[in-house]
Amino acid sequence: MNDAGRRPIDLPATTGSRPEPLRIGPSMSFRGRLTLALVMGSLLPLTVFGVVLLVTEVVRTGALDATLVQVVLFVLAAAIILAVSFAYVLTNNLTAPLKAVSKAVERASAGDLSVRVEVAGEDELARLVESHNRLAGALEQRNAELRRILLAIGETSPRDGLERLVAHATRSARVAFGMIDARIELGDPTLFPVEEDIPGEARPVRAVLALPDERVGVLLGHLPATRGWDAADQDLLELYASEVAVAIRNLELFDQVERQRQQLVELDQAKDEFLRGISHNLQTPLTSIRAYAEQMGSEQPDQRLAIIVEQTDRLYRIVRQLVATSRLESGTLRPAKEVLAIAPRVRRAWDALGAGGVSFELEDDAAGWLAIADPDQLDQVLWALLDNSVRYGGGSPIRARVAPRPDDEHLAITISDTGPGVRPEDRERIFQRYERGAAGASAEGTGLGLYVSRSLCQAMGGDLVLESPDAARGAAFTILLPAEPPATES
Amino acid sequence: MLAGGWRGGGGAPRILIVDDDPNLLVLLADQLRNDGFEIQTARDGEEALRRLDGGWPDLLIVDMMMSRMDGLTLAREVKARADLPIIVLSAIDTADSKADLLEEVAEDYVTKPYHYPELRARIARVMRRLGDKVPRRELVLGPDLTLDLRRKAATVRGSPVQLTPTESRLLYALAANLNNTVSTETLLDRGWGDTDDADPSYVWVTMRRLRQKIEPDPDHPVHLVTVRGIGYRLVQQPA
Repeated sequence: MNDAGRRPIDLPATTGSRPEPLRIGPSMSFRGRLTLALVMGSLLPLTVFGVVLLVTEVVRTGALDATLVQVVLFVLAAAIILAVSFAYVLTNNLTAPLKAVSKAVERASAGDLSVRVEVAGEDELARLVESHNRLAGALEQRNAELRRILLAIGETSPRDGLERLVAHATRSARVAFGMIDARIELGDPTLFPVEEDIPGEARPVRAVLALPDERVGVLLGHLPATRGWDAADQDLLELYASEVAVAIRNLELFDQVERQRQQLVELDQAKDEFLRGISHNLQTPLTSIRAYAEQMGSEQPDQRLAIIVEQTDRLYRIVRQLVATSRLESGTLRPAKEVLAIAPRVRRAWDALGAGGVSFELEDDAAGWLAIADPDQLDQVLWALLDNSVRYGGGSPIRARVAPRPDDEHLAITISDTGPGVRPEDRERIFQRYERGAAGASAEGTGLGLYVSRSLCQAMGGDLVLESPDAARGAAFTILLPAEPPATES
Repeated sequence: MLAGGWRGGGGAPRILIVDDDPNLLVLLADQLRNDGFEIQTARDGEEALRRLDGGWPDLLIVDMMMSRMDGLTLAREVKARADLPIIVLSAIDTADSKADLLEEVAEDYVTKPYHYPELRARIARVMRRLGDKVPRRELVLGPDLTLDLRRKAATVRGSPVQLTPTESRLLYALAANLNNTVSTETLLDRGWGDTDDADPSYVWVTMRRLRQKIEPDPDHPVHLVTVRGIGYRLVQQPA
């Protein structure tokens, strides 16, 4: 039953007209038919015995009368024919109802409970057929209940909320089990005592809403006093109760996930708001500071003003990294695809860094090649990589080389130092957010530089890779960008 | 279109700056005046519109994030009245979508904190194309190609194609001289006026890429035609 209950599709539909009941032969009682068959069965040997007696008598007396022999033979033949045909009809009459019952049982076990056998009379066979019909009817009703229950369970959605789910499950239980009243109480089932079953009064039924690890509540109800209630009915009610328990658990889990999702969305929005506020509130004063310092510097050159400009630029770039991170996460960063020469840009990025104490060498092996990139984003990447090599290169000379990779139309910009390099165990980690490699959390910076740089390069159709340690002593990072080979006027 | 002529009657180019940061307003006005521009300022969009009623400048520089009327609303309002060139000067934002919208109505975009020489170069570049007249809406160049330069977009064989800012600037210069040759130097100036290391190969590469975007057969261009040794010509094909 459990099994059938879990496969509602297998249940036969009861809609439409009921098929014609199987009818059984002439209306004659089973006992009558059996008596007739026995009488007929004994008639044949009696006849044969009579004939044998007659023939013996004739032979003994020697009076061989031809007419008499003819009569005897005729009677014999008639008796045999009569006996055989009666026997045939009666056997048929006897087995047909049994066949019909067996066929009905077969169809019932195949799942078709709609077949009824109709039989006349009050005999044993009629009672057998009757009891089959009753069984099939009960099973069919049970199936219909099961279908209603499954429908009821299927109709509840976790989005409806606990109150609606409980109301729905209660109503469905009442209809499906034919209860007078029903209610579902959530909480410890032992808080709701078992009612006494008083004969002649409405019969109380209950089933615990049980999960493997928890008892969610209890389903309580009353049946009409006349309604039968056996172990199978109780099993079905408990099955239903456990399905309701599962639905309630699902609803709780769904609520929990939904709440967490909502929290995440809110947190994400708060973070975006925060970043937006921070970036706007930093950029506005930075703009004035930088512009005034620049203006004063242009009127009266002063190293201190140049440092103010440089440092505001550094601060601004950190803000940009934060903004870029936020945009990368929300997928709103869409780099432009502009045509640009790389070497002069690397040179400008180095100059903007203001790292006077470190030697820098730029080698351009890509004359005429132009990269396809977003100038603002590329500047960010170049600045972050050059800044990194100044900070972690231990004061070693920094070298930048621009070279084409003609095989796949990319430009490679390699920025290397001869400092301590990147430890093997840090090679992947440094590209993750808020990681700072060997220097650890004590180092300055946001820990976003390489993460943002790699993401930006990938967004521009390129990549950022750390060269293998044997390629160069120290650290060597290579930016790959889509590029156009040297062009002529065309 | 506008009474009194909006090109300043031949005098110094006039610029209206709209920004809600008074420090910046004072300083930027100062810097631009030193470079010979005639400057007006407004603290918000509504004030800007009032100033526009008193006479149109040659150029509008507008901050995107302003408290009372934001830059986008102002830019749309202005563009609805006249084709006044707009440069957006704004802090970069965590949400890119707004910047996209503004780029639709703005000629150029400079992020804060700005580098004054760069801003000046952008202003000069926009000013240079003030004389260019291109259709306000769509420019039909043939059965397969329509340009909508204000949206930096083209329609190629019925499909929309997005143009980069540089591509649309070059096409703008070419469209203003439809069917006439524009020199490579002019194109270089229009496309990369703010870049000191640009050379003609920038134009060549960009043209090659543009042809792949908008020409039915990039190897046999019919719209973006090379005039050898001089420059390029945008050709309108008969419908």
